[in-house]
Amino acid sequence: MRLNASSPWIPLALSGDIPNGTVIPATLCSKPIAIWRSQSGQVNANGNRCPHRGMRLSHGFVRGETLSCIYHGWRFGQDGACQHIPAHPDVVPPASINCGPLQVAEQDGVIWVAEDQVESQPPRLDGLKPLRSLVFCAEPEAILTASGGTEVDLGVEATLAGTRICLLLQGQAPAETLCLVLVDQATSPKACAEISRALEGIRRRAEGETEKRGAA
Amino acid sequence: MILYDYILSPSCYKVRLMAALIGAPLELRPVDFHPGKEHLGEDLLALNPAGSIPILVDGDLILSESAAMLAYLAGQYAPDWLGEETATSRAMVQQWLAFAHRLTAALGGARLVEMLHGQGDLEALQTAGIAALRELEAALFKRRLDGGTWLVGESITIADVACFPYVALAPDGSISLDPYPSIRLWMRALRGQAGFVEMPGIHRRHELAPDPLTPAEGA
Repeated sequence: MRLNASSPWIPLALSGDIPNGTVIPATLCSKPIAIWRSQSGQVNANGNRCPHRGMRLSHGFVRGETLSCIYHGWRFGQDGACQHIPAHPDVVPPASINCGPLQVAEQDGVIWVAEDQVESQPPRLDGLKPLRSLVFCAEPEAILTASGGTEVDLGVEATLAGTRICLLLQGQAPAETLCLVLVDQATSPKACAEISRALEGIRRRAEGETEKRGAA
Repeated sequence: MILYDYILSPSCYKVRLMAALIGAPLELRPVDFHPGKEHLGEDLLALNPAGSIPILVDGDLILSESAAMLAYLAGQYAPDWLGEETATSRAMVQQWLAFAHRLTAALGGARLVEMLHGQGDLEALQTAGIAALRELEAALFKRRLDGGTWLVGESITIADVACFPYVALAPDGSISLDPYPSIRLWMRALRGQAGFVEMPGIHRRHELAPDPLTPAEGA
């Protein structure tokens, strides 16, 4: 399965899972990153390692338009540059201290990150709305099979509980796949709950398949 | 009310956290759990023959189960935290209190193996822990669909407090919390409650304190 072959944008989180003033860990092409949303609602992404002592920045906290490291409070702006070092309050941090900012886009309720600078926009997800994100301990192929759906550029399209769904799949590690689930825009809350339950079943089947293959 | 307490015990923390959140007075009596094994000494075995901590003593009442302690504190000082007085709500609170035992066995078990070189099948404990976290994530996602934040009903209950510590400390047992966005949001809401207290491994939300870089108004 060649995932997302035509676009440099990688779908890594659902907008609703990162409210204003929060940070989450994510994996971009097997590299750990932090995705955070400022108080004003701007989404940012950067490496998940504080240049000071290597602490995961996703353990940190968002204040205003900045991300702070939990360890010694080094504070980073949306451009990734260190703005403030609490232990040396009068020092203006040199521009070389930064946390590796990444290009990020938010579109159709999905947060997309690119490894390199790109001019294009992420692909559109017409007629769909985000539901939930799950991690499968399985390869994308096993998820395709378990869902009974068809392969599309971004992952899998299938019908679940009578509703059209789309699974954006992203391999994070061997036998570990992030799955962002989108459903038809018109899906009712009740049907959303049904689909969420049915997804757990797809995960059980996909993981069972992966285990069998691992044992063989 | 005296709590026989150990700072690194998530079960003791449940009771400290509950008391702090509802403003209940609690006298702490530190127990030398490790390395002293004071909980297995004559004095504490006389209070609790099971040899476990926490132990809560209030006059003649002696409790040795943390879920019972949460119910007692809430009953005394904040009955709202017991949930609504409907059959469904009461059953759901009991459901999550019992579920919290699974968290203790699986996530707590993995944590003991990893942190205190305890005995046990780490892989089996982690597998059971992940199964429990997935169940919690699915339930909390369902609550989000309904516009809810907490495990039961419209406001926080003892069910949330009972489940929170071992979940938050899952990484101590080498179990990642990264795959669970709904659990992350639920923990964030709990850590944002007035009166929230920390324990080693569970920190407060620093962004809720005034920004030291922003001069206070009127200063």
